[in-house]
Amino acid sequence: MPAKPTKTAHTRKGMALGMRNTVVGLSFILPNFIGFFIFILIPVIFSLVLSFTKWDGFTEMQFVGLQNFTNIITDKYFLQAMGRTLIFSAFTVSITTFVSLGLAVLLNKKLFATDFFRSSIFFPYVASIVAVGVVWNMLFQKDFGPINEFLRFIGIANPPGWTASVKGAVPAVIIVFIWKNMGYYMLVYLAALQNIPAELREASCIDGASPAQHFWRVTMPMLSSSTFFVVLMLTINSFKTLDLIMVMTSGGPGQATTLIVNYIYNKGFVSNHYGPASAAAMILFVLVAIITVIQFRVEKKASM
Amino acid sequence: MKMKKVLALALTVILSSGLLAGCSKQTPSPPSASPQPTSSGSEAVAPVSGKITFSIWDLNSNSYLQTLVDNFTDANPDIEVEIIDTPSDSYVSKLNIDLNGGAAADVILVKEADYSMYQKGQIADLSSYIERDGIDLTTYNGLAESLNFDGKQMGLPFRMDYYVLFYNKDIFDAAGTDYPSNDMLWADFEELAKQLTSGEGANKTYGAFLHTWQACVQNWAVQDGKQTMMGPDYSFMKPAYEMVLRMQNEDGTIQDYSTLKTANIHYSSPFQMGTVAMLPMGTWFMSTMIDRVNSGESEVNWAIATLPHPEGLAAGNTVGSFTPIVINKFSPNKDAAWEFVKYCATAEGAKVLAEAGQIPGCATDELRNIITSVEGMPEGASEAMATKGVVLDRPTVPFVNEVNQMLGEEHGLIMLGEVGLEEGLASMAERAKEIKGE
Repeated sequence: MPAKPTKTAHTRKGMALGMRNTVVGLSFILPNFIGFFIFILIPVIFSLVLSFTKWDGFTEMQFVGLQNFTNIITDKYFLQAMGRTLIFSAFTVSITTFVSLGLAVLLNKKLFATDFFRSSIFFPYVASIVAVGVVWNMLFQKDFGPINEFLRFIGIANPPGWTASVKGAVPAVIIVFIWKNMGYYMLVYLAALQNIPAELREASCIDGASPAQHFWRVTMPMLSSSTFFVVLMLTINSFKTLDLIMVMTSGGPGQATTLIVNYIYNKGFVSNHYGPASAAAMILFVLVAIITVIQFRVEKKASM
Repeated sequence: MKMKKVLALALTVILSSGLLAGCSKQTPSPPSASPQPTSSGSEAVAPVSGKITFSIWDLNSNSYLQTLVDNFTDANPDIEVEIIDTPSDSYVSKLNIDLNGGAAADVILVKEADYSMYQKGQIADLSSYIERDGIDLTTYNGLAESLNFDGKQMGLPFRMDYYVLFYNKDIFDAAGTDYPSNDMLWADFEELAKQLTSGEGANKTYGAFLHTWQACVQNWAVQDGKQTMMGPDYSFMKPAYEMVLRMQNEDGTIQDYSTLKTANIHYSSPFQMGTVAMLPMGTWFMSTMIDRVNSGESEVNWAIATLPHPEGLAAGNTVGSFTPIVINKFSPNKDAAWEFVKYCATAEGAKVLAEAGQIPGCATDELRNIITSVEGMPEGASEAMATKGVVLDRPTVPFVNEVNQMLGEEHGLIMLGEVGLEEGLASMAERAKEIKGE
């Protein structure tokens, strides 16, 4: 707007400049923020409020202080679900990181049909979770599923019962989680690998580094920020896994695959105990926050 | 920087005040409304009029509901009924949200008979209307009592379904065995299944099929009406489990639980493909079978018999579930709503249901004859469907959802052989106590 530089206009403009920047800035984030505010922020804060109350969704809320929290942390089913989640996360995070890094290194070179392999490994990530769950359930079938047929063929007389057994169910869902997610993290690593300057390879070559030395001393440090991202995202995603479990085992057999989010879902939407469910969700939130902060600290130290 | 802080602070204040306002506005409304007497109905004969809403699911596959509404409005031109249709998958949760938010319809079909709606004070007491209009609650095959809480009649049984035995006549003919009778013990069923099982591998014909629901074992244990799924002691389920485990593990007369579960097999497909001789299943499956046979998707020559029964119980006692029809406590036009409920749940409405092949809550032999005369219904269905009593598989009591969830988990473990039967039943008892103690 062409403003004439009169005295009053000048002061107004001076005041307005900062203000206008803010308004413009806000207007850019507004469309996204409105959605975030209504559908995420308010529910999250409401859930925090709920965690201190006894409420069935309709009748008057009763404030019960920390009672929900003390009940939850002494509930053996909560502790079992938490334990299972920690095991699930430990395996999925470590194995997925390792596998996706391996795949990325392998597929970083231009070899026969590299693009085909890259796409086929990425494909599970975009496949529908319901289809994935149903098909894997059939593959895992105890008596005539292809996986156990194969295991018997290579001489394993008593292959696991997979989703139809308490012991085999968690490994089964871990395998499917890894298979489904490795493609995406492989892509993250691939991008990072291609950003490593070729000069570094030449330099280490000239200095007489073996391929192993090159990998550990040059490639890995160059990938550290990607590794941080991968581990962080995997940790968060594995803690909040619900859909895969719902489709494959719905938490069973018994409660063998009831992870923390399934527990929260059952408490809230099967039993209508919104207070304890929110308390459990808050505990999960704090736990993930703590793990994230620790990872940030470690990353900072490592990169210094 | 300062600007940002101020903004953040302002946002937080706005946000939390908005939240509090939202809460404080919401919370007082139910208590202030609840002490209101639920329309006395004493003003009696004054003609009622107005518009009411009617909440149902899947109108497309339940077109008789439209007929019901049309017939009602023809007879009562002063009352307008608007149908609110929701897909069945999301019906229960949507209804819950609508009720909690005060946006539910005036007249509601309840999909899963639920005590919590009464507990929360969301549905109206119909006792005074029932008394005024002289509705005979004994015509509801013993189901009306399940909607009587603390002496208040909170709804009427609209529709019901109960378990019968579906069978494939061709498999019986091939085995040279008589068709199942309408008075058969579970022991006879088990024995018959052995005679009808033949073949191996992919070509195996199973004598019977039990779906993976816990209901398909536990219902045979509650059939005598002496115990319910609420426990707290579950040793009464032992005979039913022993029979099913024998059939699964020793005789191989039913497909095993783990295959059905992992391959996600729905009970309808093996029966419609003709690889199963006997299938205990709910009467809702009859209309599916008629459809499939009419459309040529299945060539099974099917029929039904009365559900087998345990020793010491007369034939015709079966297990089932029902769909209550209730009035929203906050409905502004309860008198009109009642007229509609009365129409739906008594003789005239019942006839509309029967003509569509549905079993009304107030089913009589006469109505059953109408149901079984629907085209495609097998011969002898009328006798097979006669009941002496219908026990509810899920009683309308507190904690029923939690106990049901728990029973499902323990059922899976028992059927997979992950825990012994004794151990599983003991665990059910322990967990039922935990749930009710909460």
